[in-house]
Amino acid sequence: MSTSTSIRPVARRILRNAHPQHLPPTFLLPSLLAPKGHSSPFSATTPLPFPRDHNRERGVSTARRTGVREPLSVSKIPLPRPVLDPRLRAKVETDPNHGLWGFFHSKEKPMNKPSEDLTCGRGWSVAELRGKSWEDLHALWWVCVKERNIIATEKFERRRLEAGYGENEGKARDAMARVTMRGIKHALTERYYAWSEAQLLAEEQGELDLSTRTLTRPQDFYEDEEEVMPAEGLLAEPRTEEKTQTVA
Amino acid sequence: MPSSPNFTLTLLRTPKQPPNFATFIVPLNLNKLDLRDYLWNAYGVPVRGVRSFIQQQKLRQDKPNAKRAAPRRWFRPRAIKKMMVEMDDPFVWPDEPTDFTAWEKETKDALDEDQKKKQDQAAPDYREKPSHERKSIAEQAKDILAGKDVWSTEATKPTWEDDGEEVEVEKDVKI
Repeated sequence: MSTSTSIRPVARRILRNAHPQHLPPTFLLPSLLAPKGHSSPFSATTPLPFPRDHNRERGVSTARRTGVREPLSVSKIPLPRPVLDPRLRAKVETDPNHGLWGFFHSKEKPMNKPSEDLTCGRGWSVAELRGKSWEDLHALWWVCVKERNIIATEKFERRRLEAGYGENEGKARDAMARVTMRGIKHALTERYYAWSEAQLLAEEQGELDLSTRTLTRPQDFYEDEEEVMPAEGLLAEPRTEEKTQTVA
Repeated sequence: MPSSPNFTLTLLRTPKQPPNFATFIVPLNLNKLDLRDYLWNAYGVPVRGVRSFIQQQKLRQDKPNAKRAAPRRWFRPRAIKKMMVEMDDPFVWPDEPTDFTAWEKETKDALDEDQKKKQDQAAPDYREKPSHERKSIAEQAKDILAGKDVWSTEATKPTWEDDGEEVEVEKDVKI
């Protein structure tokens, strides 16, 4: 090392001045060839061989995605490649009884054509709904709720696909469902008013005892009728039924 | 009827989600437990978990029904709440239709384009923007500079076809 340090500057100087222009003048030749004095390196620290500091993680960086230094057990297995084309991916089988089919009119297509949307009839009128039982009205309400969900889903899909017309047809269908729902509310409100008025009337006339929740029959009112209508049991039954319905 | 809902759920097509996930647009006041109970009781869908998020809408000038948007009258459409539901069974939407003739897509697109053109013409900075003619001139110049086209004035000159000698057409007309 000492020889190389002593020779190097001379060689460098000669190499650098290979061009004749940069050659030193001939009278300086003895000084170039003269032996130099002892030279020492600038630092007294003994240079360490690689790695510099005994850091095992040196050069391993997540930011630079270097990976670990030693091979892992999975290094021989190639990474799975994502299938970017959706047509080449494996098809997922949907259960034909899946509940989310309730958000579609049909299982074949995501949305109805406008002509198909127009095929519905009209909503239920209040007059038709008055005669329905509570169970029927409740079921019909939920049919309307689900129908409106279908219509909302179709509307969003139609807009997303920019399919064209069909907005008005969907709107008309939605309005029809809402008319039916309003009719159901109307019929039930009427029923509630009838019940509360009947209750008031019964209290006034002393037929209903709220403390015991029993319906007492006014004897003086029905006395005349008893003679006219012999089948008293038939008359009494619906009244008790009404009592259980209303008071419960 | 306190238990009867009067709102709509919108099921969204989410091809980038795993098939056992479904996303809905829900009203802002619906919570995760509500949606889980709704799907179970109304549709019979068992739900493993619900994730919900609200998407703030972009600020825009004036309300959507305003005839002419007033400046500095800001309007932000109502935020959209979405809920992602994890289910037991996968569900995949039916395929998109390829033929849109039933929806008259071509007519609607042409009409929309025409309307947009008219709206652009009514805009105050319509004259400051480069017109279609200027755009086409610029494109032609670019082509000539790139060597794709050759400059010629032939097209602008009136061209006459040589049909030979002059012929009197109406010879037998008697005045």
